[in-house]
Amino acid sequence: MSNNKLTVIDRQGSTHDLEWEPDQTLMEALRDNDLPVLASCGGTASCATCHVFVEKEVFDTLGERSEDELELLVEAEGHRECGSRLSCQLEFSRHLNGATVTLAPEE
Amino acid sequence: MRDQEQMKQEPTEHEPTAGVTAPVIIVGAGHSGVAVAAGLRARGWEGGILLLEAEKETPYERPPLSKELLKEGAPDESAVLRKEKFYEDKRIDRFRGITAESIDRKGATVLLSDGSRHAYHRLVIATGSRARPLTVPGAELAGVQSLRTRDDALELKRLLVRGARVAIIGAGYIGLEVAAAAAAKGCEVTVLEFQDRVMSRVTSEPVSRHFERLHEQHGVRFIFGAAVTAIEGDERAECVVTADGTAVRADVVLAGIGVLPNQELAAEAGLECRDGILVDGDGRTSDPAIYATGDVTRFTSPIDGASQRLECIQNAQAQADRVAAHITGQHAAVPEIPWFWTVQHGVRLQTAGVRHPEDDVIVRGVPADGRFSVVYLRAGRLAAVDTIAGLTDFRPARKLIAQGARIDPTLAADPGIPLTDAIPTDANPTDPNPADADPVTARI
Repeated sequence: MSNNKLTVIDRQGSTHDLEWEPDQTLMEALRDNDLPVLASCGGTASCATCHVFVEKEVFDTLGERSEDELELLVEAEGHRECGSRLSCQLEFSRHLNGATVTLAPEE
Repeated sequence: MRDQEQMKQEPTEHEPTAGVTAPVIIVGAGHSGVAVAAGLRARGWEGGILLLEAEKETPYERPPLSKELLKEGAPDESAVLRKEKFYEDKRIDRFRGITAESIDRKGATVLLSDGSRHAYHRLVIATGSRARPLTVPGAELAGVQSLRTRDDALELKRLLVRGARVAIIGAGYIGLEVAAAAAAKGCEVTVLEFQDRVMSRVTSEPVSRHFERLHEQHGVRFIFGAAVTAIEGDERAECVVTADGTAVRADVVLAGIGVLPNQELAAEAGLECRDGILVDGDGRTSDPAIYATGDVTRFTSPIDGASQRLECIQNAQAQADRVAAHITGQHAAVPEIPWFWTVQHGVRLQTAGVRHPEDDVIVRGVPADGRFSVVYLRAGRLAAVDTIAGLTDFRPARKLIAQGARIDPTLAADPGIPLTDAIPTDANPTDPNPADADPVTARI
């Protein structure tokens, strides 16, 4: 599988183009590209420090959020019903090739 | 307090990174050591980074070792912290299977286990902790295990077979996570605990009792007040004996009796240690060119002033970032409210803040329902929260703890009322804490 291309908008509004490798979660791709994603739980849907917004059309293709993920997101800064995801819970997916992902505000 | 004073100082551009020839040497490649290496690059450190890895494999995640990895049919691999390519891309030099033997502080060099000596610009000690060893007779018998490394986990996994009799000494996170994994694999599990309830160091009685019932429903047996005096057996462990003469037959014995900080390197170099290497809020030891981070450190909590050693991922990451910030002369993030989690029989216990035994305990919800929280108040302010099988209260709690928010005990006992609304009507929740004229704001 080839890499996905991804556009990331950081918390200052700057745009970054990066490559997402198939064996990574989205959180790992963001973190390994030096984007300020704390990921304090190492990717276990425990902390919500890797919260991102994805576009609605993409969001709808991603499947259900687990109960833990949902409970963390509902209480997160700027939570969007159809857009908030924990990037550690997003496995590499063709649906996300060319997608734009926005880092949610830090709390 | 020296630590507190330094916490309040504004970081300055004190460490120019240009013109430095020696690398930052990081001793230890657990969560914190790797996070320092990554953090230095993310913060623009251009100089060399040398990472000493005691184990030969790619640095890996530790939380799964007592959870996912032990499960029936789970792969033997534990997720790596960073891919191999990351270290190459970030120009992080790695010495595998190499440890540091001694530090020459005057010459700013470190002697490695392969006999080579290396100069450092800054040294970061991230040697972590080791399992506290059992010291009773028979502790050296085959079948007596501890759990710290991936090799430990794989050996344990091999021993946890259907029908095996497993005795676990210590009902802390590790002991109970292994108890759950062993029970799920059809082992006959007995947990021996010196205290009168599980997880007594980290949580309150209602939570302990809830998890005891959960384990018992899965066939785990507890013996409380158990002072283990010996492991008996010929070549292999066969029996665990306690002070009152109780004998528990066992094919496998796991000691989960806490950890000891790997502080010897620092102590022998004359750095201040007291059950942990003493560091300030920026991770500096008593030598300004040497930092320490993660499980091996002891520091003054910026939240409540307590002297503490925190054995958790969150602290390993947060402290590493403060070290990386300080080495590169940048502002660090404000201190985080620490948090912890464990999963036993599929039920998550997640804690925000550090509870003290004397805190007021408010149960929020009905434990019998399987899902509830416990709120800990200190002088009327939220100090810590345990959430069981649900994370709804977790993030609001971290915010409220950081604010030092006052909480109304009656309102907080009602799970139908959001925690953020459980504030006394006569108080502004963000009133400065009168006990602390200059409250340290903290990030969740």
